[in-house]
Amino acid sequence: MTAAAMTDRPAAFAPSGKYKLSAAGLLSSEWTKLWSLRSTWIVLLCAVVFSAGLGALISGSVPSDQGLSGAETALGFAMAGVSLSSVFVAVLGILTITGEYSTGSIRSTMSAAPKRLGVLFAKAAVFGAVVAVLFTVMVFATFYLSQALLDGTPLGGVSLGDDGVLRALVGYIAMIVYLALLAIAIGSILRNSAGSIGFYIGVIMILPQLATLLPWNWVSDVTPYAPGNVPNSIALVDPSSGTLGLGESWLWMGIWLVVAYGLAGVLLKRRDV
Amino acid sequence: MNGRRLSRSVSDMIEIEHLTKRYGKKTAVDDLTFNVKPGVVTGFLGPNGAGKSTTMRAIVGLDAPTGGLARVNGKHYSEFRSPLTEVGALLEAKSVHAGRSAYKHLLGLARTHGIPKRRVTEVIDLVGLHEVAGKRVGGFSLGMGQRLGIAVALLGDPAVLILDEPVNGLDPDGVKWIRLLLKGLAAEGRTVFLSSHLMSELAQTAEQLIVIGQGKLLADTTVEDFVSGNGKSHVRVVSPDAAQLAEHLTGPGISISSPEKGVLEVTGTEAAVVGQAAAAHNLVLHELHTVRGSLEDAFMQLTADAVEYHQTTEGANR
Repeated sequence: MTAAAMTDRPAAFAPSGKYKLSAAGLLSSEWTKLWSLRSTWIVLLCAVVFSAGLGALISGSVPSDQGLSGAETALGFAMAGVSLSSVFVAVLGILTITGEYSTGSIRSTMSAAPKRLGVLFAKAAVFGAVVAVLFTVMVFATFYLSQALLDGTPLGGVSLGDDGVLRALVGYIAMIVYLALLAIAIGSILRNSAGSIGFYIGVIMILPQLATLLPWNWVSDVTPYAPGNVPNSIALVDPSSGTLGLGESWLWMGIWLVVAYGLAGVLLKRRDV
Repeated sequence: MNGRRLSRSVSDMIEIEHLTKRYGKKTAVDDLTFNVKPGVVTGFLGPNGAGKSTTMRAIVGLDAPTGGLARVNGKHYSEFRSPLTEVGALLEAKSVHAGRSAYKHLLGLARTHGIPKRRVTEVIDLVGLHEVAGKRVGGFSLGMGQRLGIAVALLGDPAVLILDEPVNGLDPDGVKWIRLLLKGLAAEGRTVFLSSHLMSELAQTAEQLIVIGQGKLLADTTVEDFVSGNGKSHVRVVSPDAAQLAEHLTGPGISISSPEKGVLEVTGTEAAVVGQAAAAHNLVLHELHTVRGSLEDAFMQLTADAVEYHQTTEGANR
């Protein structure tokens, strides 16, 4: 190249250096992305209506001559809708990541954050926090609503101060958050909406229930440790009636999350976007 | 960080070294090596499936190379602390969630780097999407999707722009606009690297040219050299005395063919020389003109082998 050609060319443009990719930025980005989709509002509204509605419907229609009593049963009735609305939460969690793959927006996302793992963890943190706040409100609101409807029956008169009640209600919140986080990892691993939702409903929700019908003993020894079953004990007023102890239940939730996010993280790093 | 602006020298901003990418058995990019300089628009030309998109995806780290490497400003893309200010990329139109508005899509990306809302509005205005910024992207036309993609690329005010087929779907006004925009950005010292499968498109925008076919480098040159080197022009002569004229047109580099009786196609000389030769020997001419090879011809000529190779391997695999 001649000297003249060198001077013809302007000096290379240098970026300003004012902006930096950061963990706070990724959290803020995922927050913006979550609430800028109509599906988020619709699915969460469904979860709210379903958890409060079903809890109220069941609590309001308990026949008084059934001889049912006790905080365990009362909470079971109140939280029936909360347990089932975990499906809405899981589907939404899956869609936060598979929706990016199906629409191609994952390419924009990963070009902005090429180390990739931060995106997965920011999604999990933001969605986990949203679900935790929403279901803290829903679990306690549904509990009080149900108790108001059960007032005067043998299932009424359960208070937060009763042994194990508060812990069981917090257990319901933790269970929903755990399932939401598990769903995001499944979405990240499978990348496909239909496949991930099918896997969640089939393998996490239904398979452990079906497995108990099988005639082999080892199956019933294993099923309590299935990822969909491990949170069951923490939502019991009297955890001694559960197949896993309280500590075991928390431990296995942790193990499954580490396994799921470990696999999701490795695959996210290794695969092409 | 103030010293940084001064310390940047005019070196190659994008370096592709022995880049190879295989998807299963298919080799998309095959031992590709080239550099892209700042300050000029560099065109990336190749037929469909030549490996242009794969190369561009490798530059921004979306695809991991099977072999070799792709670097920007001496670093792998994922090493940058602020990727969006280093490289702005338009990879495929509509890399956007259809249910999100253009504004929210840009805001979501801006937030990752702490880029203010003011800049989001700025790029929306710049690409002319002001009126539809609040609408969901699912209803956008191809051209609007492209404009949004260009807004995404410009969001971080980056030093390097990588644009995969940016004119696809744009109307003539849009094509003219993006040409001026890209030349302007290059004049500011940015590196502008854009792909196209249309030579005519690049000839009007780019100065430098990288041509690939079947994932292999075919040419790394300037647009000017490419056109004069590959676009064959010849002199066409129609004369009742064609055979006699041909005898008088001898010289180094001159070759003559006769596609039909009374017609000569002369390469390696000019029309004036042919006319003088005819006059000197009193030969009658009915027609004398220069036929210039088009840019597309030059491109087709260069990629012909690659395309043929492609078709034979397809047949062999069947």
